[in-house]
Amino acid sequence: MLIGFNKVEHIKGIVIIVGNFGSGKTEVAVNLAVNRKRSGIDVRIADLDLVNPYFRTREAREPLAELGIDVVLPPEKYLQADLPILSPAIAGLIRRPSQLTLIDAGGDDVGATVLSSLADPFRKKRVHMLQVVNPYRPFTDTVTGCLKMRDQIEKASKITITGILGNANLIDETTVEHIYKGYDFVKEVSDQSGLPLEFITASVELLPQIDVERFSCPVLPIERQLVPPWKKAVRLKK
Amino acid sequence: MGKILMKGNEAIGEAAIRAGCLNYFAYPITPQSEVAEYLSRRMPEVGGVFLQGESEIAVGNMLFGAAGCGARVFTTSSSPGISLMSEAISYISSAQCPVVFVNIVRGGPGLGGILPSQADYFQATKGGGHGDYRLLVMAPASVQEAVEMVMKAFPLAEKYRNPVMILGDGLIGQMMEPIEFPEHLRTEPSNKDDWATNGMDTRNSSKPNLVKSLFLNAELLEEHNVVLKAKYDRMKQEEVRYESYNVDTDYQALIVSFGTMSRVCRTVIDNLKAQGFETAMIRPQTLFPFPEAPIKKAASKESCQVVLSIELNMGQMVEDVDRSVQGKCPVHCYGKAGGDVPTPEEVIDVIKSFF
Repeated sequence: MLIGFNKVEHIKGIVIIVGNFGSGKTEVAVNLAVNRKRSGIDVRIADLDLVNPYFRTREAREPLAELGIDVVLPPEKYLQADLPILSPAIAGLIRRPSQLTLIDAGGDDVGATVLSSLADPFRKKRVHMLQVVNPYRPFTDTVTGCLKMRDQIEKASKITITGILGNANLIDETTVEHIYKGYDFVKEVSDQSGLPLEFITASVELLPQIDVERFSCPVLPIERQLVPPWKKAVRLKK
Repeated sequence: MGKILMKGNEAIGEAAIRAGCLNYFAYPITPQSEVAEYLSRRMPEVGGVFLQGESEIAVGNMLFGAAGCGARVFTTSSSPGISLMSEAISYISSAQCPVVFVNIVRGGPGLGGILPSQADYFQATKGGGHGDYRLLVMAPASVQEAVEMVMKAFPLAEKYRNPVMILGDGLIGQMMEPIEFPEHLRTEPSNKDDWATNGMDTRNSSKPNLVKSLFLNAELLEEHNVVLKAKYDRMKQEEVRYESYNVDTDYQALIVSFGTMSRVCRTVIDNLKAQGFETAMIRPQTLFPFPEAPIKKAASKESCQVVLSIELNMGQMVEDVDRSVQGKCPVHCYGKAGGDVPTPEEVIDVIKSFF
């Protein structure tokens, strides 16, 4: 199910997902990878989250691999290490990108700092860097907060943010109203920052109740993958 | 204010501020470092203090000092860090100072791992430090409950002049859930003039207060321990908290589980119900005092054939469960200690193996 998603076909090549801590970068990156893979393009995704110990892309590596999405992670033996390990494979991935190469960075400016160490491979590459915004999270519940985060991430990563992704949600307690209000909020962030609002997200459960005509941007359906042990991830179909 | 989405660790930090605690000392350790990260930003905004100690040993003694002076104070850490604070916890307990400790438990023993665990049950409920002391221990099963327990912990610590510990696990600290901060749980720090070293100029007394844990005289030390014991007995009378789930049915198995593990067990009970097999759960919200009587009562139900303590460790709470059940029903334990939380399917297989 792609809702107006042909409008984001320009999102290809190297796409870096950044945002404040807990904004939903990984869930968005994983679902974007799946969505683009289904549309028939080659997708690789790299987990660059060196700051977060739980709920990382690596948790979703099996279902992604089943769909034929290559997940680039630190070597298996370091996977559980509480250490910031940057796999040398990442630089190779940037030098020879797939049709879509998604880089899931860590949260805040701290998590984005690692991007600056990849300045060499990034040189002369066209890079999209998209900021995920969830207005129901602390520190990005105001437009000023979001713009401050943008500034801090750009400084830390030494890369310019090129677009906004709206990811308004309260996980299981999200209502249609939250999605509408969240859209209005990120639209405001987009207007004030001059950055395009590339797309917003909505869970597949909520999507049938949503009037997508209300939005000026496409909607990425979220099939939740990062769940606690007592819940089941949505089974991803090819 | 509507709900917001917060990570357990952030919510714990914010809850302390909302509870009226403006003093936080800590040392970073996975999986609770986000509390310090969050409060390093928030404390200056509200005029509070965040001070990173040079180690957890230092933090433990900074807490002792601040609480002894009458300040409302708290810390957060994870297992090895709490071990380092244990000497101070014993001193703080003896000196009867109210301090709130949050332990976001990781795998052990030793450095262990960084994944969720409940292997500090013994440490929290039976000691860790030396001497006859008890902590009032609460175990949240959701981020919202962590918020409420942190907010309740401060007045409870002051009511008993005793440390209170919130025993979470890595998942409680790391997962995100929608939450709100109940305004009614905000409390003002109590008046500590009759015991704290809060300055002679602020209270009407000519006698200085003394905060100490040294009693060289046998009679005085005996007397001191009797006073402490009376407090712990009062906690047993007044502070037992637990939640029952599906106990109105003719359940064949009773689960006792707390924290993150109890969330899995709820799903287990729902799934088994759908299969026509009734099970029930008692979820201790306080680990000390332990809900002995409710567990005994639930285990005594005629239909109940087995009591299962399900824990993220190799079997610790089961000793308290066994003690509570008093032979009314066979007691078994299922646990995992590596960091992988058992799935509902796994627990269902364990339950079915008894029938």
